[in-house]
Amino acid sequence: MHPNKLGWLLLAPTMLILFLFGVVPFFYVIWVSFHQWNPFAADPSMIFNWASNYRQLVFDAQFMASLGVTLAFVFFAVLSELVIGYLLAQAFMKDFPGKAFFRTIHTLPLIMAPIIVGSIWKLMTTPSIGIIPSLLDSWFGYNLNIGQSAMAAFITTVVMDIWHWTPLVTLSLIAALVSLPADPFEQAQIDGANKRQIFWHITLPMIRPAIIATVFIRLMDAMRTVDEVLMLTGGGPGSATRYVGVHIFKEVFPRTNYGYGSAISVIVLYLTIVVCWLLYVGLIAPRNTKKG
Amino acid sequence: MSFISKLGVSVIALAVSATAVSAESSNAAFWAEAGKAYQGVTLHGVTESTPPSNYVKDVLAPEFEKLTGIRVDIETTSWDQMYDKAIKDMEAGTGIYDMVYIEQDIIYAYLSRNFLVDTTQLLKDNPALKAPTYDEANFTTFANYFRGENGDLFGIPMEAFIKVYLYRTDLFNDPEVQAAFKEKTGRDLKPATTHAEYTEIAEFFTQWGKDHGGDLWGTTAQAHTGHAASWYEYFESIAPTFGVYNWGIDANNNYAATVANGGQMNSDAAKAAMKYWLHLRDIAPPESVQSTWTEVATTFAAGRAAQGLVYGENAAWIASDESKSRVVGKVGVAMPPMEAGVMADAESGKGYVGYYDGGAFGLPITSKNKEAAMLFLQFIAQDEVQADWALAGSRITNNATYDDPKVQELDAKLNGYFTMLRDQGKLFAGAPPYPFHAQLREATAPIFYQILTGAIDPDKGLDMMAEKSEEELKALGYRK
Repeated sequence: MHPNKLGWLLLAPTMLILFLFGVVPFFYVIWVSFHQWNPFAADPSMIFNWASNYRQLVFDAQFMASLGVTLAFVFFAVLSELVIGYLLAQAFMKDFPGKAFFRTIHTLPLIMAPIIVGSIWKLMTTPSIGIIPSLLDSWFGYNLNIGQSAMAAFITTVVMDIWHWTPLVTLSLIAALVSLPADPFEQAQIDGANKRQIFWHITLPMIRPAIIATVFIRLMDAMRTVDEVLMLTGGGPGSATRYVGVHIFKEVFPRTNYGYGSAISVIVLYLTIVVCWLLYVGLIAPRNTKKG
Repeated sequence: MSFISKLGVSVIALAVSATAVSAESSNAAFWAEAGKAYQGVTLHGVTESTPPSNYVKDVLAPEFEKLTGIRVDIETTSWDQMYDKAIKDMEAGTGIYDMVYIEQDIIYAYLSRNFLVDTTQLLKDNPALKAPTYDEANFTTFANYFRGENGDLFGIPMEAFIKVYLYRTDLFNDPEVQAAFKEKTGRDLKPATTHAEYTEIAEFFTQWGKDHGGDLWGTTAQAHTGHAASWYEYFESIAPTFGVYNWGIDANNNYAATVANGGQMNSDAAKAAMKYWLHLRDIAPPESVQSTWTEVATTFAAGRAAQGLVYGENAAWIASDESKSRVVGKVGVAMPPMEAGVMADAESGKGYVGYYDGGAFGLPITSKNKEAAMLFLQFIAQDEVQADWALAGSRITNNATYDDPKVQELDAKLNGYFTMLRDQGKLFAGAPPYPFHAQLREATAPIFYQILTGAIDPDKGLDMMAEKSEEELKALGYRK
């Protein structure tokens, strides 16, 4: 058999699965987004309504508010994870007693399902039984109630996301850091460069591909966060943590507004691609241009 | 008693025992025989994780398997996930589930979509399937919620309870508390019958908790600021006691919700109900703004509230399970407080005093094992299995269950909860027969949550909700 044919044959099962469970549903969602479809309406059938759903969402204050808080959530969560993840990665590059133990403990949140993470944080933040309100009250006299305070709820969801996903960033950056050659660092030290200069001019540029890949992954994940937040706050108080993922969930499942929910999903996918593209243009393209 | 009389009584007793044993073995024979045709079949059900559902999963399903050889896998999950899974399965026609939990309020939506099998007709068409111990006449009137327009049953009732007013008998009967209450209010401390009384008691106990340094508040509140549980507490438990029924929507008047169009959702009574409830929320334990139905029961069981409206499914374990509850033996049951005229409305059938909650197991039309599933549904509907189930989940769906000695014993511990369910259950009502239940709730919930956070004034918020309801009903095609 011709090597090319064998290659295609071996790839065929994966491509078939991707086509059935990735490509087909994607185009189906696009198709549904051009319909008015609620199976519990007086007329439960799909009614083609051109781009009405897309027009509607531009004027949907709830969706716009949801998009705003999502972007804020993504910004604070991903940036914090990057900074903390890098610091932890640097810490784990050094030897200290119990390093292996701490590295294992620190990665444990990664293996937890988001719904479990949400449940744990709900227990930890519920007034009267949660350890976090109890400690904040005894240490600072601060009354944490995420069912009441929009800001507290927002910050708690960000902190929960940081707790859950920083280990991923740490692991990626450790992998990048251990693969760095020693020569440039030795030369920089011989030339008298200080730690800040070494970080800024050598470490950061060399691990930039790893940072960008990690940011892309986290950004896409954070944009579609649902389970944890739904379990922790239900999107509340009010709409303070009704991120687009939660908004889509509530539109599509309980409200069974399939057409409109699909339109929102498509737009959110488009926005995620745009944000990633902007990052690409801002961080990678200039460097490639300089190289060229 | 003479020897002859003793002999006569003994003979009769033996005969009765023999008949009972014979009936039992013939029942066992029926299940064994009926199950033969379905060997190797595994039934799949999905339901909310509640005490009654867990009993089905842990006790009834294994018993059924032992008798018939038919395996039953019951998936117990969260309320949201249950609907998500069931609706997707029935909508897509995948046929994963052979039984789905139907909460009373979703039945109308399911019937409108023809999701469910007519169980009455199925048994008529397959007389061999009919268990000798199954009879629709065994059910309480709660079963009527699951009947279609033809009077046939589309769901086998598995739980039914009323949302009751629970209060702490130890506190209400404490002479020191009674004296303090009398001194402060000038009246005797007893369960409230009006909203004014309830508020007065709640304020008193919240202050009492503050003064005495204990974790005690005057009332519970199911007031989550991002979960539908709060929406339900207001519309199904609070607003009706102010005379606002069926969510304030007039189905006979083109589904009007606004007062301007003939509805009640933003009426003065609805607004008074909202302010009353928000005030209670403010003097309830701090976790109330994160409480759904489960957490309210937990709060009460932890001894953190002197009184509250609690779903009946939790009444049994709160009153009797020492491993979970700190108020065992200290729980009283009463009718919810209400405005004047509401009781008269309830008695005449024009209104109701609170929520009659419950659910049934339905057989999806998409099931691939309808006959085997029908056998299981009959099994769980027999009078014979009801008493222990009632003890485990404080639910009663069959008339005979009320007379069981074990149930009567628990009723005494519950200070008459089951008696209230039997005698006054008719004054409570389930959700209105709307096929757009979740759709309307989710359309208005964002505004409702903003009322709870204080971002929107309650009066203005109810005006907005009433307008949004009409807009949504128009979009769904129900309002012309």
